[in-house]
Amino acid sequence: MRLLVVEDEARIAEIVRAALSRDGFAVDVIGLCADAREALANTPYDAAILDLGLPDGDGLKLLRELRGKGNGLPVLVLTARDAVEHRVAGLDAGADDYLVKPFAMAELVARTKALLRRPGGALGTTLKAGNVALDTIGRDARCRTQTLELTRRETAILEHLMRRAGRVVPKAVLEDKLYGIDEELESNAIPVHVHHLRRKLLDNSATVEIHTVRGVGYLLVEGEA
Amino acid sequence: MTIGMPRSLQGRLALRLAALFVAGAVALVGFLAWRAYDTADSLSDRELSLRADDLARYVTPDGSGGARLALPKSLQDAYSDPANGDIFAIRDARGRLVGAVPPAFGKTVQQWAPTGDHAAYLHFSGVGEGGADYYGLGLTVDSAAGPLSVWVARAAGANALVHSFLEEFVFDIAWVIPLFMLLALAVAVFAIRSTLKPMREVSQAAGSIGPANTSARLPTAGLPSEVVPLVGAVNRALERLEQGFALQRQFTANAAHELRTPLAIVTVALDSIETGAELEKLKGDVARMNRLVEQLLSVARLDAVALDVSAEVDLNQPAKDVVASLAPWAVAQNRAIGLSAADKPVLVRGNGYAIADAVRNLVENAVVHAPPGSEVTVAVHDDGRISVTDHGTGVAQPDRERIFERFWRGLATRSHGAGLGLPIVAEIMKAHGGQVTVGDAPEAGAIFTLEFAPARAAPPAGGRG
Repeated sequence: MRLLVVEDEARIAEIVRAALSRDGFAVDVIGLCADAREALANTPYDAAILDLGLPDGDGLKLLRELRGKGNGLPVLVLTARDAVEHRVAGLDAGADDYLVKPFAMAELVARTKALLRRPGGALGTTLKAGNVALDTIGRDARCRTQTLELTRRETAILEHLMRRAGRVVPKAVLEDKLYGIDEELESNAIPVHVHHLRRKLLDNSATVEIHTVRGVGYLLVEGEA
Repeated sequence: MTIGMPRSLQGRLALRLAALFVAGAVALVGFLAWRAYDTADSLSDRELSLRADDLARYVTPDGSGGARLALPKSLQDAYSDPANGDIFAIRDARGRLVGAVPPAFGKTVQQWAPTGDHAAYLHFSGVGEGGADYYGLGLTVDSAAGPLSVWVARAAGANALVHSFLEEFVFDIAWVIPLFMLLALAVAVFAIRSTLKPMREVSQAAGSIGPANTSARLPTAGLPSEVVPLVGAVNRALERLEQGFALQRQFTANAAHELRTPLAIVTVALDSIETGAELEKLKGDVARMNRLVEQLLSVARLDAVALDVSAEVDLNQPAKDVVASLAPWAVAQNRAIGLSAADKPVLVRGNGYAIADAVRNLVENAVVHAPPGSEVTVAVHDDGRISVTDHGTGVAQPDRERIFERFWRGLATRSHGAGLGLPIVAEIMKAHGGQVTVGDAPEAGAIFTLEFAPARAAPPAGGRG
């Protein structure tokens, strides 16, 4: 999979490239808006990581141009924390996610993978987290080679938690996703499904854990592989 | 020992003016009275001398070297009642009595020396039945029969009319003068007050200047020109102070901003090194530095710009956002975060990002102080409060004020943070017209509470209550 990193700070670009390469991505690093525009026009990337403060222009402008052409490339925006309004502006301009500088490398890799795990993304068909793999087409969840015997609802919950692994998925979002399956959703349906899902993962020695963030939602964390 | 001297400029001016006016009133009344009496005296002197001239006009030579007085009827009537009116006596150059009314006065005058060139005052103690006192003058007047010595006098009582006029003036008119002075004093005090009003306004303006609004200047409009240089000097001093403040803020912001990039580099570089015990510690150190730099930037931002707190914010939203964004980090620290949202929206006037920053600082703080495996609870209350509860050791009573001061670090928090997180929270709450408090959680640990003014009751201006 090929990623474009638009970052003018050479040291950060270098380390980001090294880290993403280690995870098996092919990474192109570009430091200028103009060069990025050309690269995006000529190369089919799977995702882009875009720093907003570039020497020859605003990254947001580049992003708007891209979206204006109907390009749906997953884009993760890097921004400085003090420009809080920019976070919103970034998302409005069509960013799929944003990360505030300074960031932990592991976070950047996780977010990038999450982008690619979106439906239609490069990693969107077979989701992987820890030793768990989920084929979103075949609806087949496995722990190592062991098939997890999951219900449709548990599979749906696992899918959404895996697509956003490492981040909190609001309970309301899961309820929306399950609405198509359970026409009349009981108020404790999600906790019950999550409880069963958790039990099944544990029984199969899965290296992912589902944490409850009380009052907000659920969080799937990859443990040590 | 400053007896009676008021401290205010206004009081001092009024007091001195009052003293001046009283002295002025006394002097003026005294002078007028003296002048009035003096004028009355000279008036009567003048009248008497005119009368003497009048009498001399009717003195004619008698042909034998002597003189003869032939008064017309009108004058004879005028001098007919010497007891209450005027008396006179005339002697010719040789000393012979030409005429006198009453005759007793003539007899007395015969013993006097002839009058000189200058009028001489005389006092004649009355004769006969009335026994009145007469005051008058004797003077030399030329006549057809040569120079005459003429004495004219008037009974003391005859001047009563003039004196009563004078008394009327002094006692009926002159009392107006102190009253007028009093009125003038009142006008003066009023003038002082209104003149000093711009100075009071300047004082109020000066009183409102603090570190948060160093750009304010004292107005010079309407000030007396004597005070303008002082106010100008104060304004220039404020200018220099503001520059100092700005420089310091700018430095904080720049330093933090410049530190951010190398720190970001170190952060990602450490992540890419293979694991090791020392590496984990280094990562912790760098995480602390990152947090410090972010907090310094927050402080510089809060100092530099007035926070826009005009938006309507549902407190549930920032609480939920912060819990969601910090949960992965807390889980990695083996702590849980929970949210007890309010059932319905809790609306306040404020800045959603700033409120989220405040909650984030409290949650980060709580997670750091919570024992492993415990839950940090964020609760949103219907009455416009957000509380963050942990199960740590709590905050000791004596430290509860100081933890909100910049760079204050208690013994218990020695190993964490720079002491900027809670001051940032306090400043954000101040900007919202609210406050942050700390207390004991129902179970062990601390409970930090952000108290906002609910927006439902109070429109934009939004004070508490």
